[in-house]
Amino acid sequence: MNATKYIKRNKLLLIVGAVYLSLIVFKTDKAILSFKNSSYYIIEMLQIMPVIFILTSLIEAWVPREVIMNSFGESSGKKGAILSFLLGSVSAGPIYAAFPVCKMLLKKGARISNIVIILSAWAVVKVPMLANEAKFLGPKFMAVRWVLTTISIFIMAYLVSKIVKKENMPIEDEKENNNGIQSISIKKQYCIGCGLCTKLSPENFSMENGKANFINKKTSLEAIKAIKPIIDKCPAKAISIKC
Amino acid sequence: MDIFTLLLWVVTGIAFIISIVKDKKKTINSMKMARGMMKNMIGQIIGILFLIGLILTFIPPDIIKEYLGKSNTLLSTIVAAVVGSITLIPAFVAFPLVGSFVDIGISIVPAVAFLTTLTMVGVVTFSLEKQEFGIKFALVRNSLSFVFAIFISFVMGVII
Repeated sequence: MNATKYIKRNKLLLIVGAVYLSLIVFKTDKAILSFKNSSYYIIEMLQIMPVIFILTSLIEAWVPREVIMNSFGESSGKKGAILSFLLGSVSAGPIYAAFPVCKMLLKKGARISNIVIILSAWAVVKVPMLANEAKFLGPKFMAVRWVLTTISIFIMAYLVSKIVKKENMPIEDEKENNNGIQSISIKKQYCIGCGLCTKLSPENFSMENGKANFINKKTSLEAIKAIKPIIDKCPAKAISIKC
Repeated sequence: MDIFTLLLWVVTGIAFIISIVKDKKKTINSMKMARGMMKNMIGQIIGILFLIGLILTFIPPDIIKEYLGKSNTLLSTIVAAVVGSITLIPAFVAFPLVGSFVDIGISIVPAVAFLTTLTMVGVVTFSLEKQEFGIKFALVRNSLSFVFAIFISFVMGVII
């Protein structure tokens, strides 16, 4: 059971490992050469990897994303565009991790152009990632690509907002249901597996296959209220209250 | 360690100290998150790094250069952009991979196209995007991102 999960998660590593093993047996010189060729990249990666993850987590913890999101309602035009760009740039995770956050902002009345800016900036513009890019491809490469990408993002935002209107989007209001039976749902595809929820509330969450899992099936209204701060803390906004 | 990485460590170190002085618990939680993310990705990272060694050993740079020197840049860039669109690997591990390709002499134009579509265009996540924002939005955003990725890569080819 656990072995199959392990294999699934580490497919690439196991395949590469198997190739190396067979090389050691049949063509030892090639195995040594491959290892030597890798060693430069491994050393470089070891130098930069911990600092990138630490910096990403610190940004995640300290940048008041909620404040940025809340000021979205009033802000429009240039200010809204800049806020969107900032919000995307300080967030962690792949582009699809931005979907639930953007959906929420859309419901609050954010413009389509700003949603495009958040999604694109989230995907491409991240300070720790820029450091990684500069390391392996050179600072000039990183800087030029950053400038070009930023310009493209703003043009794209304008174009998308001209073509797509809000009528084309599925925005349904979630029903507020205070008395109904509530439960917690986790959108697994958005979970980045950071494990924050399991550390803050081990009685309600567990990690399963690298994703968060809600284990406390018998939830009272009080218990759900207690989980609320954890829902807010989830960096991927993957946890929600289901009515 | 190069000056750039060193600087990043210094900045992060200062940020960490400020963070721990201001709120110890918050800092510890964020470090737990860093550890969790790292644990999740380490297998993939090591796999890619060793794969680079294999590629460099078995595909000699001369052959790649000769082959790509003859082939059309536009075509190879479009192919790179398509591969980037359908691949779902974290950008984090893509940089050393693409870096190794550039090191052995591959043109940066397809390299940039791959990096840009890798993060901005998502074929695998398309259904998810469609579900959240509607098909028109997903279609327009992804196609525009693809076109702009090609545009960015060619402009970079001229500048660098």
